Amino acid sequence: MNVAFFAGAILNGLVTGMLYALMGVGLSLILGLLNIPNFAHGVLYALGAYVMISAGKAFGFLGGALTALAVVGLLGAVIEYFGVRRLYRVHSDYILLLSFGLSLILTESIILVWGPVGITSQPPAFLTGGIDLGVTVYPKYRLAVMFITTALVLGCYLFVTRTRYGAILRAGIEDKDMAAALGINIRRVFTLTFAVGTGLAGLGGALMSPVRGLLPTMGIDILPFAFVVVVLGGLGSLPGAILAGLLVGVVQSLMTAIWAPGADASVFALMTLGIIARPQGLLGRR
Amino acid sequence: MSTITRRHFLTTTIAAGTGLLGVPALGTAQGKEIVMLGIWPFTGAFADVGPLLDRGMRLAIDEWNNKVIGRPIKYITRDDETKASSATRRMEEAIDSEGVKIVIGPWSSGMALACTEVAKRRKVFYYFSGGTEDIAGKRCHRYAFNWAASPYTAMHVVVDNYMRLNPTHKRWYLFVSDFAFGWSVEKYTREAGSHHGIEFVGADRMPLGTREYSGFVSKAAAAKPDVLCLLNAGQDVLVSIREAHNFGLAPKVTLLNSWGVGTEDFLQLDPKTRENFWVGTNAYYGMNTPVAKKMTEMYQAKYNVPPGYAPCAAYGMTRLTLRAIEKANSAEPADIVKALEGWETQDWPGKVWVNPKTHQTVRDYMLLRCKKPDQMKHATDFADIVAVSGQPTMPDSMNECKDIGSL
Amino acid sequence: MFEGRPGAFLRFVLLLVAIVALPLAVRPVVASEIWIFSIAAMALNLIFGYTGMLSFGQATFFGLAAYTSGLMMIHWHAPLLVVLAAGTLVGALAAAAVGYVCIQRVGTYFIMLTFGFNQMFFFIAYKWTAVTGGDDGLPGIPRPPLALGPWSISLETSVRYYVFVAVVFLLAFYAMKRIVDSPLGVIFQSIRENPVRAAAVGYDVKWYKWIAFTLAGAFTGFAGVLYSMMFGIVPLESISWIISGDIVFMVLIGGIGNLYGPLLGAAAFKWLSEAISVLWNRWPLILGVALVLVVLFLRGGLVEAFARIRGAFGGGGGRRDADEGVPVRVGAEGEART
Repeated sequence: MNVAFFAGAILNGLVTGMLYALMGVGLSLILGLLNIPNFAHGVLYALGAYVMISAGKAFGFLGGALTALAVVGLLGAVIEYFGVRRLYRVHSDYILLLSFGLSLILTESIILVWGPVGITSQPPAFLTGGIDLGVTVYPKYRLAVMFITTALVLGCYLFVTRTRYGAILRAGIEDKDMAAALGINIRRVFTLTFAVGTGLAGLGGALMSPVRGLLPTMGIDILPFAFVVVVLGGLGSLPGAILAGLLVGVVQSLMTAIWAPGADASVFALMTLGIIARPQGLLGRR
Repeated sequence: MSTITRRHFLTTTIAAGTGLLGVPALGTAQGKEIVMLGIWPFTGAFADVGPLLDRGMRLAIDEWNNKVIGRPIKYITRDDETKASSATRRMEEAIDSEGVKIVIGPWSSGMALACTEVAKRRKVFYYFSGGTEDIAGKRCHRYAFNWAASPYTAMHVVVDNYMRLNPTHKRWYLFVSDFAFGWSVEKYTREAGSHHGIEFVGADRMPLGTREYSGFVSKAAAAKPDVLCLLNAGQDVLVSIREAHNFGLAPKVTLLNSWGVGTEDFLQLDPKTRENFWVGTNAYYGMNTPVAKKMTEMYQAKYNVPPGYAPCAAYGMTRLTLRAIEKANSAEPADIVKALEGWETQDWPGKVWVNPKTHQTVRDYMLLRCKKPDQMKHATDFADIVAVSGQPTMPDSMNECKDIGSL
Repeated sequence: MFEGRPGAFLRFVLLLVAIVALPLAVRPVVASEIWIFSIAAMALNLIFGYTGMLSFGQATFFGLAAYTSGLMMIHWHAPLLVVLAAGTLVGALAAAAVGYVCIQRVGTYFIMLTFGFNQMFFFIAYKWTAVTGGDDGLPGIPRPPLALGPWSISLETSVRYYVFVAVVFLLAFYAMKRIVDSPLGVIFQSIRENPVRAAAVGYDVKWYKWIAFTLAGAFTGFAGVLYSMMFGIVPLESISWIISGDIVFMVLIGGIGNLYGPLLGAAAFKWLSEAISVLWNRWPLILGVALVLVVLFLRGGLVEAFARIRGAFGGGGGRRDADEGVPVRVGAEGEART
């Protein structure tokens, strides 16, 4: 175990951590504002990756990623409008189960369209290969993804905290009835928020596809971690999701380096301790 | 609630229960047909292999014109979903509803351990091809057979021959899939390595289906090995190879996939990543035996692509089973078992001998060295066959199958 | 037991008919699994349908009991009744411990805690290969005969095992019915309806939630033992969240808050997964569609569907039984703080 060893582990942790943060931000918006435990968040991530593969052939890497964002976001809006909306008056557990059903439908649809076998995807040519960072050699594309996701996450944060629309969003999270009473079209806010949240998941999938490859069940792999991040960070708190995402990513990566079998379990142990010790999450308010 | 009605409830239930116990076993399909079950993965981690195995078995049955000893063959498949519960449930359900007495499959060693229990309890003939030594070892029983080479022999063939060609490569790092298959091949890789003074500078065990190999590749790189030995399976192999290239570890460091599928992996890999990639396998289409060559011809004609380990294994197992039925002139599991035990004959792998004490097939294993794209003479000329050998064979004393039991 | 409630008696008779007919329709192996999962589904129904807590980690208790009984049968050749008792006890104790922590929170947090604990036990089972066999599962489990005093009945064949499973299922069903019909059951329901009011009336809500959770764990453990003897192996997925999810499905599809709902759900789920999967590998698509339709249009599940059909044919019909499913009315925020 040397510097190279830990440097690699921490970089990996930051890359996965920013991905978790991206997923967490999207899910936190949905869960925090709409109180929707979106079980389909994972499969939407997967769908983004698959759309990217097909769209990327026609529109190139950037075009493919944007297409993924648009398609998944649109799908999210449709799901909210036709499905979730009917269940707001009913217990949130039903929304969770609806999203569970949707995740099955979408996963099987992915298999129908793209086949059950794993697919690989290539990063753009100028980002293939590794870059020598002195302390270790690290794949260029992973570094690029880390920067892009950081920018996206910060962008979201700034949007939510510094823009008028973000203020409306935060007002809605605080008290949706009051916000509606003040004349805000809260239903539209819900739909848009859901679309943005899911779109981020799709984009995350698109960006990560060259890193991890694609498999129809890739959504199921990442979903528990997205929930851990949101719960640990605090429902509805974006800074919380970012912080928790990084924490989870780094812990998981370091554990992989030190004692690999314990990596996933340590994440869940962390979450459990978190919920018990600090029920509102790291930076949550409720 | 009155005591009378409660008692009534209980007696009615118990009466109904004991009545049913007297019902004779529900009828199963009988008749002249010989029903053969291929239990293959069509969903789950090995979803891509299921159709290939199906092809192989079908090819063998078609070659016999769907008949053996004058009786028609009914070939059915079930999806094991790469889940032990599905595999066992469907196997048992097929035995009940279709009268299956011959089972071939599945693909994953973990599933096989579950299926062999069912075979033992229901006394059906069971053929598996896999890297876990347990089927012909700790969990052996009279009805189960293993077609693949024993991991002991296989790992020796790989390690001995690799070291013969690369005597200075003494630092090895291992990636091991964390289940029965991985444990067996790791054990014998280390055992074989000990004869060559190999230093195992590190090893990581990860669950089958791991997608995130960056951490493991980083660790491996930091240990500065000569060889990264991939003792994992399925898509994990491809992911590991890709990450090793991404992190600059390969092709400097040899990637050695000791128990691999060969052809199917080659087809999925980026040609650049095939440099310095070695594969040990039970079956490669370049195998130079009459049966293998003919099978490759038939397969290629039908599917436009050469067969890899999976279809060859399914073909090989089915073919030997059909030949055993013919030899015994009976399709009863007990008779097939007796026909196979101790049989020395020529088949797909060349000379095979079924050890009657363990039901392990003694046969050849292959080591391949992948070619760089510019060295390929035609589109599917993926690799050179560096070694084909069945030595050393596993001494019975080392085998944990001490009593294979009765029929 | 059924006095004054002819509808309930009829339903019970239908249940007995189903028990006799099922193995002929779907084969004893699948039928046995249906009753085994019915028990687990009834247990989840107790905490979700009747007490309002959605647990996504019931596989913890199912798997723990399965492994425990499996190990006892392999190493000690423990008799059948002993392992059944042991598994039930293990399920109850584990649920008591896990439940104690989980009930400190509600809503999504509760769900995530049950899920988190499930993941941790899964990980332990996966890694402790010497004991559990890890990813391959725990093989070599015998099926002990049913020994009552001097008599010993072998359960080796699928039919015999089915009869045994069906009988113990009926016993479990009876026990569950007693719980649900008792004052305890009413308290559970009051907690689901309005925990704040239940507390105001003087019930220690957390204590009753804990009791419900523990009881559910006991039933789930009992089911786990029966499962371990089905195929002679305890697969790792017995303790995985996939099974937890399956059990949630069954309860929801069948109809929550109703005694027969989970049975219909388990039957529908298992039947769909077996019958349709042979025809079409993408059968989970149908399951997903079914779930979506149920959640959007038929929250009472199959029970509500039958009730509506009966209503459409029979006009007025009988009184609504206490057994009839009631859609959960508690608003999302209403149950926040207990």
